[in-house]
Amino acid sequence: MGKPLIFFGMALATYFTRYAMIAVLDRELPPLLRRWLRHVPPAMLAALVVPAALAPQGRLQVDTHTWAVLVGAVLAWRTRSVLWTILGGIAAFWMLSLVGL
Amino acid sequence: MGDFWRGLLATLPLVPGVVAFGLLYGMMARQVGFSPWEAWAMSLIVHAGSAQFTALAMWQTADAVPIILTTLVINLRHILMGASVAPYLRGLSPLWRAFLALWMSDESYALAIAEYEQGRGNHHHFLGTNVGIYLAWPTSGLLGALLGAAIPEPRRYGLDLVFPLGFLGLLMTFLKDRTGAFVALVAGGVALLGTYLLPGKWVIIIAGLLGSGLGLLLEEIGGRWGNP
Repeated sequence: MGKPLIFFGMALATYFTRYAMIAVLDRELPPLLRRWLRHVPPAMLAALVVPAALAPQGRLQVDTHTWAVLVGAVLAWRTRSVLWTILGGIAAFWMLSLVGL
Repeated sequence: MGDFWRGLLATLPLVPGVVAFGLLYGMMARQVGFSPWEAWAMSLIVHAGSAQFTALAMWQTADAVPIILTTLVINLRHILMGASVAPYLRGLSPLWRAFLALWMSDESYALAIAEYEQGRGNHHHFLGTNVGIYLAWPTSGLLGALLGAAIPEPRRYGLDLVFPLGFLGLLMTFLKDRTGAFVALVAGGVALLGTYLLPGKWVIIIAGLLGSGLGLLLEEIGGRWGNP
């Protein structure tokens, strides 16, 4: 399928999630659904980031990239800042490459 | 000053953050083979940052259907945002409500709902915040893609790390308690295992649903133990 079709498909999926509750106005979300939805973003992000960090080619591999991502994980945990995580992780990659790890 | 302009100006403090992510998105779009115009078009049409980053990450291995389904799951949080803002939109025409939903982003929603809750919000202000973010996102994406074209070998400089690092940072902002950490560990572990067992990128949706489902279950059981 071509790019435009995928873009419009993604837009439609996005619009559905934005418009659904605004369209029906007076309905309340069931509490169970509400509690589940809160857990969806961290689950999806973790499912994305763990394979991308530890197995970028589909298999576990440990190299400079892995160490740099681990540095980034510590930074993300301590600073809770996206910017510092990215800058620190890339700086770690440069330093580790210089050292030859 | 009109309410629309008040909303538009309120986005200014958030614009640097949006632009930083937009530049990043544009560079990553180049890496998976998008032209600058395609990167721009995706932002104009989809206008959903996390979903677009995810789509790029899946682009080379996944087909349209898993990409669109993942977009749906990633954006499910917008249902909660829509539910919280809906009571304030009651008096509006269907056209206004449909249009306000179109460009509702995390940022514009946050600005608008804060104003509504203080009793100063209205649809013109909400539209202003929507438009402010909508102007910044595709423009910075296009710029990032043009810049990305100027860096020939991003992997040599570790710039491909921007993706896992950016998502790590985002993930941490969602981890507020122990249940959150448990959800992330389960989903991440299942996704890693799944890359060995399953083709394509379905594993991301499966791991996401399993992690969030187990988190809910843990909370329900914990809640029942806490209140007999």
